Amino acid sequence: MADSSATPALPFLVRHEFLIRRLHSLSGLIPVGAFMCVHLLVNSSVLNSPETFQNNVYGIHALGKLLPIVEWVFIFIPLLFHMAVGIMIAAGGMPNTQAYPYGANIRYTLQRATGIIAAVFIMYHVFHMHGWFHFDGWLSMAESVGGHKFRPYNASSTAGAALQNPVILVLYAIGIIASVFHLANGLWTMGITWGVWTRPAAQKNALVVCSAFGVLLGIVGLSALAGMYNVGKGEAYQAAIEAENRMYEARVEAGSVQPNEHKRIEERGTRSEE
Amino acid sequence: MIAPSKDHVSTYAEAPKPEAFDVRILRQDAPGESPKWERFRIPYEPNLNIISVLMKIAAMGKNAQGKPAPPVAWDSNCLEEVCGSCTMVINGRVRQACSALVDRLLEDRPTEIELRPMSKFPVLRDLVVDRGRMFRALERVKAWVPVDDYLDRGPGPREAQAKQETRYPLSECMTCGCCVEACPQYTKVELTREPGETDSQFEARRKQAFDTAFLGPAAISQAILFNDHATGQMQADERMEALTGPGGIQVCGNAQNCVAVCPKSIPLTTSIARAGRQATVYAIKKIFDR
Ligand code: HEM
Ligand code: SF4
Ligand code: SF4
Ligand code: FES
Repeated sequence: MADSSATPALPFLVRHEFLIRRLHSLSGLIPVGAFMCVHLLVNSSVLNSPETFQNNVYGIHALGKLLPIVEWVFIFIPLLFHMAVGIMIAAGGMPNTQAYPYGANIRYTLQRATGIIAAVFIMYHVFHMHGWFHFDGWLSMAESVGGHKFRPYNASSTAGAALQNPVILVLYAIGIIASVFHLANGLWTMGITWGVWTRPAAQKNALVVCSAFGVLLGIVGLSALAGMYNVGKGEAYQAAIEAENRMYEARVEAGSVQPNEHKRIEERGTRSEE
Repeated sequence: MIAPSKDHVSTYAEAPKPEAFDVRILRQDAPGESPKWERFRIPYEPNLNIISVLMKIAAMGKNAQGKPAPPVAWDSNCLEEVCGSCTMVINGRVRQACSALVDRLLEDRPTEIELRPMSKFPVLRDLVVDRGRMFRALERVKAWVPVDDYLDRGPGPREAQAKQETRYPLSECMTCGCCVEACPQYTKVELTREPGETDSQFEARRKQAFDTAFLGPAAISQAILFNDHATGQMQADERMEALTGPGGIQVCGNAQNCVAVCPKSIPLTTSIARAGRQATVYAIKKIFDR
């Protein structure tokens, strides 16, 4: 402002509000939203067979030592940024759907609610499967409280086994639905934020497209969950472990995978909660 | 909406009329004081609006319990929904009092009407609020065409008819405040004067607080109106500076309540999306044009 010469310098977050909000908007789609789509699609490959999913996981783990760097730079840091700014944004608004119960206003409130649900779910999910940090002492602590369940070289069987508790299964279903809604609706608001769809008719059409995208991605996500769950019990579970172990040994023999017992089920095997 | 629609009148005309109805008003004596509800009982008459109800209350001088009550303060001017000064929250929804017809309000809620001042502005007294932040927002985005001199600069740029037609609806804004009242991203800024603070010190502090708070949909739409004008366009970059500054377009969360409640049916969300598009281009230009 021209007439602000005598005013004190504004705080960083206020001065750069526009840039921060646009980076927040962008990070929701790239890389976080894009990652979520890939993640759900890869997970749904378990519906074809546990081997297909296992192959995809080997593909991801082919990055080797680079994997944690890629994870942090392209997934965790953008996600944490989006989450932190998102929580600030949600705290700054005053939802008023009671007085003004219009569709877009309800979605505005749901965007914030699903963001918070996604935050809680993702933190839990990453702890539950991954354990957050890969230090040995930390991991054994995480395991003792129900975290770090996933083993990349026994991908389907460990993921499936981790979902056998019905409470956890329901939690995952809620988390997936909330995250998918959040992405689909976020795509629609992004189009307005960046000025892609400006007229009411265009916004209505975009809403149809974004809704269709949300429904499709929701189906992918929930069927991946169901597929994983089914591989985690009974004969399918035993078959999956055997297939995974066969694939592991073949890959080690071919030299395409370095032996790494950390990424496999421990030999003592039978997990205590089953 | 000059004459009430015929079918509306006829359905209500057949319904039995109440003898009287209650009006519940959230009253506040002065800025910063705590508000309290007061109830008034009004004998029914056909074709009342909320302004005429408030005039009756002033004439009665007593509340529903028969106790003396000072007249309720309100703002109004044009009485035909063009000045915006009588905006208040009627039965939970923000709108103009002068065009709020009692017969229609009683159709929705047969025995009682509820009046509150707008919640996003400092209350001066009863139903009167200070919309100064909205006018400050118009200054921030330079919502005008600067032609303040006596030089003959010759004819301005030609205006296309089609462009003029898209601008006209935006020009109908009366800065009434409905849109910002309904906006979940527009939160109240109310300052209280510190002891010993002069008028100009307080004013400066108020402006400073306004200048980082959300502009609101009305001012964003006005910025687009003048960015669309062939002469106004010459200040487009200055408006974009304000729109991308603190409290700018980025605060909007796309709840789209503004467009739903605007009494002038101004396409606010179209203006917001267009402002977003212009901000995208402007920000990229600014990064590379250093
Ligand atoms: C982890 C916790 C999260 C929180 C607290 C959160 C919060 C938010 C909030 C409050 C908004 C609205 C911003 C606005 O209207 O200005 C938003 C927008 C968005 N979020 Fe998230 N979010 C989270 C996770 C995610 C995830 C996992 C994704 C991707 C799948 C995502 C994608 C988006 C997108 C695409 C937008 C739209 C941006 C725009 O309107 O310009 N968010 N988020
Ligand atoms: S845009 Fe509409 S609701 Fe907002 S101030 Fe102008 S006339 Fe009122
Ligand atoms: S669209 Fe933006 S400005 Fe309009 S009510 Fe929603 S948040 Fe407010
Ligand atoms: S008195 Fe002018 S709008 Fe109501």
